[in-house]
Amino acid sequence: MAGPLTRSLHSPRVLVALGMVLCVAFCAAFAGLVAPHDPSEQNLLSILTPPLWDAGADPHFLLGTDSLGRDVLSRLIFGARTAMIVAFAASTGAMVIGSILAHVSGYFGGVADWIIGRLVDIWMSFPPVILSLILMVGLGVGLDRVILAIVLVDWTRFCRVLRSEVMVVTRHDYVAAARLLGFTHWQTILREIVPATAPLLITLFSLEMAIAIVVEAILSFVGLGVGPDQVAWGQMIADARQNVYQSPWDLLLPILAIVFTVAAFNLLGDGLRRALDVRLAEAGH
Amino acid sequence: MSVLQARDLTISARLGGTVVTVIRSLSFDLEPGKIIGLVGESGAGKTMIGRAIAQVLPPGFAITAGSLLFGGDDLVTMAPDRRRALLGRAIAFIPQAPMTALNPVKTIGAQFDEHLSRLGQRGRQQRRERALAMLAASGLPRPEGLLAQYPHQLSGGMCQRVLIASAFASNPRLVIADEPTTALDATTHRQILRLIAAMQREHATAVIFITHDLRLAADLCDDIIVLYAGRPVESGPARAVLSAPAHPYARCLQLANPSMSAQRRALYVMPDQMPSLRQMQTMSGCSFAPRCPLAVEECRRNEPPAVSVAAGHVVACSRAAATPSIDVRESAPSMPDEAARNVLQVVNLAKRYGVGRGLFNEATTVAAVKDATFDIGENEFVALVGESGSGKSTVAKMLVGLERPSSGKILFNGDDLTEPALRNRSRVAASVQMIFQDPRSALNPRRRIASIVTQVMEAGHRHARWDERQKRSQQLLGEVGLAADFAARLPDHLSGGQRQRINIARALCIPPRLLIADEIVSGLDVSIQAQLLNLLARLRAELGFAMLFISHDLSVVRHLCSRVLVMYRGEIVEQGRTETVFGDPHHPHTRALVAATSPQA
Repeated sequence: MAGPLTRSLHSPRVLVALGMVLCVAFCAAFAGLVAPHDPSEQNLLSILTPPLWDAGADPHFLLGTDSLGRDVLSRLIFGARTAMIVAFAASTGAMVIGSILAHVSGYFGGVADWIIGRLVDIWMSFPPVILSLILMVGLGVGLDRVILAIVLVDWTRFCRVLRSEVMVVTRHDYVAAARLLGFTHWQTILREIVPATAPLLITLFSLEMAIAIVVEAILSFVGLGVGPDQVAWGQMIADARQNVYQSPWDLLLPILAIVFTVAAFNLLGDGLRRALDVRLAEAGH
Repeated sequence: MSVLQARDLTISARLGGTVVTVIRSLSFDLEPGKIIGLVGESGAGKTMIGRAIAQVLPPGFAITAGSLLFGGDDLVTMAPDRRRALLGRAIAFIPQAPMTALNPVKTIGAQFDEHLSRLGQRGRQQRRERALAMLAASGLPRPEGLLAQYPHQLSGGMCQRVLIASAFASNPRLVIADEPTTALDATTHRQILRLIAAMQREHATAVIFITHDLRLAADLCDDIIVLYAGRPVESGPARAVLSAPAHPYARCLQLANPSMSAQRRALYVMPDQMPSLRQMQTMSGCSFAPRCPLAVEECRRNEPPAVSVAAGHVVACSRAAATPSIDVRESAPSMPDEAARNVLQVVNLAKRYGVGRGLFNEATTVAAVKDATFDIGENEFVALVGESGSGKSTVAKMLVGLERPSSGKILFNGDDLTEPALRNRSRVAASVQMIFQDPRSALNPRRRIASIVTQVMEAGHRHARWDERQKRSQQLLGEVGLAADFAARLPDHLSGGQRQRINIARALCIPPRLLIADEIVSGLDVSIQAQLLNLLARLRAELGFAMLFISHDLSVVRHLCSRVLVMYRGEIVEQGRTETVFGDPHHPHTRALVAATSPQA
């Protein structure tokens, strides 16, 4: 039997999703090299030019320009950088906080479980977008603030799902056996439980990336996201709203970018879940 | 005329592109009012018969030859809707796991009513009366109250009685009972068997009784078919097959089973295990030949023909005449004399759980263990017996420190393990170890065997080098009788018996003074059980350790342990030398336990 990670690489779903994610990640990492223009450079002489496939296009700007004459393609590419930084950092943060609390809660049970469980319950009773908006008002705008707001809102997602998985694994006799052999609690969690919960953790991480991208877009759209000097897809949508009838592509293109990226991460998460979930893998045979 | 006639029934499975025969030419005649027993260890294919009748074979499995004539109609070629009309009416089933066979969200009454209306019984009142009559006939007390209850409010034995009642409610011509007692407490086995026998007599039903327990089958059945690796190796009248087995496999099984009444003797150990489906495919000749003490060259080449040894007693072996000569040469494992000193002394040990604690109501406590007092001497094997829920496992968990006692003392070599200073596991871990009941759950599926058996070497501040661990794992594998190449495998690639050996090896990594073994042979086949029991006796002689052996099987206890503690509802109600306790039980519960263990034929 191949390891779960090698097995997941044989799944077409995972391969397609991984290709899409790598495509966005490449743009994000090498935005400066890939983008034809400076994303903030204004060409007031050629504003609202349509993309290449429409009449009256300027071959200089492949996907046209916005109302300030900025190159849409370059802005999309730099927007990908913002989106990926936020998605990766916020998901990592949420995963670290959520999974530590989940392991403590599920492994020790009792009072710790009760306190963490109630905390999650209360936390989750706030609508997540509203909570992040309130946090952004309190924290102020900026890339780091967006990340912090998403971490503070979304750690509960990891905590709740992982906790039940940790509880299932903890009930296995091999965890008790490890304790009997003299493993400390810390060793038991790290060497016996985490390897079993890791597949779920990876899956949740991928899904959380998608959620973080959407949340970042929403925050940028209402002007409570990254600062004005940074490019974000949500901001592009907000900017394009006024000229939606003259140049609909300015609105559609960032939306398509969001859809493409979110779909990629959802597909990856789903593919990983299918490939890593032992129960589903067995049922497939 | 026969109720069911199987003629050369053959079931095959597709395994990775090749076709493997799972059941090979099985034939039998089942007369009305008779019980036939299909006996075999796991992997013998016995469950396939019941599934073939209901046509619910696992994916990839199919009946490839032969017929199953039910009252003249062939169930194999019958149209699905005609067969469906027979199932549940003329052919009824008693399942293996009664708790999961009932719908948990419906009352017993609602489920019985549904079943009866499907059978065509009209009128709510009539159905209710019929249900009450059937439940009362099944020996269930207060059937009126029972109708309003949900399955989780009943014990496993009661659920099985309900299912037996509903199986016989349609006056079926054939009932298939697939391991109906396996999931139940040992004390209820006999009662369930008696109930099936009584219902069967009353309704003049033919029954196919599928089991792994030859003795249980011999008690209930008229005829027995012993299956080995998908092939019927011996068939005949139950008494004859049990008392004078003609096939070497049946004889070996008989000798591998510890006896409850006869002189204690060593258990016969068959080497290896039953061939898997894959191995069967490449084998030629008799499939038992690799394990058979009588096998000659001829056996490995040609499949033995079925020969008749007595009226109706047929055996598929060319050397059947020599079968009675198979015997155990070694003498019974010696029991150590009364130990000079105790390893473990338990004084007034108790465990209480708080239940129903809320904000406003007072906590009430349930005592899982009450005032347990006993001791275990050096090198002594002491058994702890009792039905499930009697507190056996709680005692075990308190001894190893997985549960904290509510009161009482656990003195190990004179140190009280309940003292806070000694709660630190690592000091005790070296000397007290536990072997878990379910080897599947007890082995981390992500660790290799070498890493599992030497896991203690990475605990706490120990950081053994990998080559040291590798070396130790080789020694341990040798001690528990496994080949060295197991070290690199994962637990998923092992059979149940092999996993249990790994489980034992892990507990031996740092030689323990006391082992706690929680039902370690229950759920294993008789031949594997014999291997493990002999292994434990040998390890005691070689390494020297004491053991608390928790079990519900008194014959196993009698074979292995010199002293026994009987637990009932959290209390140790009787303790003493095994022969004395089983020979002259004083407490009513001990008497019930001893009576429930089937007498050796």
